[in-house]
Amino acid sequence: MHVTVRAFANLQDYAPGRRTRFELELPDGATVADVLAELRVPPRVEAVLLVNGRRAAPGTAVSAGDEITLFPPMEGG
Amino acid sequence: MHGWCGKILRVNLSSGAVSNEPLDPRTARDYIGARGFGIHYLAREVNPTCDPLGPENKIIMAAGPLTGTAAPTGARYVVTTKSPLTGAITCSNSGGSFPAELKRSGYDAIILEGVSPQPVYLFIADDRAELRPADHLWGRSVPEADEALRAETDPKAKVAVIGPAGERLVLFAAIMNDRDRAAGRAGVGAVMGSKRLKAVVVRGTGEVRLADPQAFKAVNTKYRENFKAKTKDNPPALRTHGTAITSVGTQAHGVFPTRNFQEGMFEGWEAIGGEELTRRFLVRPKPCHSCPIACGRVTRVPDGPYQGEGEGPEYETVYSLGSNCGVDDLAALTKANYLCNELGMDTISMGCTIACAMELVEKGHLAESEVGRPLRWGDGQALVELTRMTALREGFGDVLAGGSQRLAARCGHPELAMTAKGLDFAGYDPRGVQGLGLNYATSPIGGSHMRGDTAYFELLGVPHPVDPLTWEDKPPVVVKWQDLFAVIDAVGLCVFFSVRYLVEQNLMVKPVGITELLNAATGAGYTPEELERAGERIFNAERLFLVAAGFGRAQDALPPRMTQEPMPSGPAKGMVCRLEEMLVPYYRLRGWTPEGVPTAAKLRELGLG
Repeated sequence: MHVTVRAFANLQDYAPGRRTRFELELPDGATVADVLAELRVPPRVEAVLLVNGRRAAPGTAVSAGDEITLFPPMEGG
Repeated sequence: MHGWCGKILRVNLSSGAVSNEPLDPRTARDYIGARGFGIHYLAREVNPTCDPLGPENKIIMAAGPLTGTAAPTGARYVVTTKSPLTGAITCSNSGGSFPAELKRSGYDAIILEGVSPQPVYLFIADDRAELRPADHLWGRSVPEADEALRAETDPKAKVAVIGPAGERLVLFAAIMNDRDRAAGRAGVGAVMGSKRLKAVVVRGTGEVRLADPQAFKAVNTKYRENFKAKTKDNPPALRTHGTAITSVGTQAHGVFPTRNFQEGMFEGWEAIGGEELTRRFLVRPKPCHSCPIACGRVTRVPDGPYQGEGEGPEYETVYSLGSNCGVDDLAALTKANYLCNELGMDTISMGCTIACAMELVEKGHLAESEVGRPLRWGDGQALVELTRMTALREGFGDVLAGGSQRLAARCGHPELAMTAKGLDFAGYDPRGVQGLGLNYATSPIGGSHMRGDTAYFELLGVPHPVDPLTWEDKPPVVVKWQDLFAVIDAVGLCVFFSVRYLVEQNLMVKPVGITELLNAATGAGYTPEELERAGERIFNAERLFLVAAGFGRAQDALPPRMTQEPMPSGPAKGMVCRLEEMLVPYYRLRGWTPEGVPTAAKLRELGLG
């Protein structure tokens, strides 16, 4: 299945071509953890995980057409 | 005393008298400093029902015991006064290097009272303080006045100054320090203007004395090393891109205020985001005193109609002058930001007032002929022109200078001002960030995020992500965070470092690291619990001032758009802010009556009864 991934700030370092928006092909039944593994985000790198703008965890299942957003925890704004 | 200087400067602008007063050790212990000293002196000395722009009002500029030390982000001071924008208290917070210089001059705080017959400025050189004529500086912009003042006093002096907006009593005028840092919110600059005080210029050659320099160094090193270790694999986004990177989180959650909070997602968000700012305009990051993060941005718009140089924009400005006005032109909003800094105004209220005017035009409640120009969403040129006109009170700028609340009321539609207690919201739509909605409604200064910023865990993942759409779980955490922020504001640290590196990383945020630093600096032997209690005392003392000024449950409110109009689209679609459901348990947890008044028992418990 196809999902859209949006990666920002240092998480962009793991995106193909450092793009902020790209498509990813995942097997059915994949989770957010599979997205992180596919992008080779090391476990020591922290990320806020969202699926379609809602809070997600590594175990959250993703579906075809979902938008997964990754950005680092931030000190404020 | 250690950490504290033990000395307060009192300046009577009516008589010209300048005098020193000792800092009472009990006041120091109970109120800590900065924001705590602000409410302590305001409550004792200012009638809560006074005219904010009259001679009865006072300004308290106060630093904390960690301000001016080598503690990470020990850079902050707080300006407390009764706000002319809202009629409530305001306690505006700023960093840079002016606050540290104030401490090095030997003062914890300055109390400014009365009204000067002529424009003056206050010059402090260590233990010498005097008022000097400022007729030649009246009308000058912030950078011009800053340069002139340092030239005629001491090139190493640090300056806090008002611009033309403060002189003209623009109700959201700021006090600018170090040129581009702002004690921005709720019109502290107008109060200074009403006193005909152009600037406070400080040169301090001393050092903040520490109770146990060895212990302080050890604690300081420990927390700085923790920061380095943590950021090795996780570079702070705030250093790389400035606070403007925050729109990544707000847009993704669908709470990035757009077109006067009509929507929560902005189609042009990437064009005005932190990454774009870095790519197009960043010259270099700029830290405040003793800060390892360095979120400040020195920027340059190299060419085109909005060419200029300065600092910013911050996230709050990207929202207020950007998405909230439908403007996706980064150069235009950066130019408007420069103008706010140069002329001395709060970028949040400036942008929100223009956004309110744009919606009033859109809905047919305000004629463009009255504005004197077209005023449509996305018009960057209007943004820049109206910002300048507001600061100078030219044409329709004279109306905008009263802020969004007065503008909307004037047009017969007060519900279109996106404010709490008359203070424009920060850049988070509370329909999709429920805890922050409770914060806006109960913050002592009104619609600010910086009195208990639950966006940290509701949107930004610190200390860990929590669902922003739930409300049942928020009241106890909001209470805890509001009291924590009072502590951070009182000791003189910046929230950005403290929340992530100096408190226990769970939602109860016990201020362990802050306590260690404070004890090594002051020798006062606080426990974290005593500090938390001091934060609660400060928050309740501010509430008492509000109650005496006529504020109560009716003012702990949000506009109907937030509580009755569901978010139209995005991840928070269908949500309203569940304020009423949160407010009842919030009051109970606070030990306040159902009308929002602190009970006698609570006041006794806090030593306020």
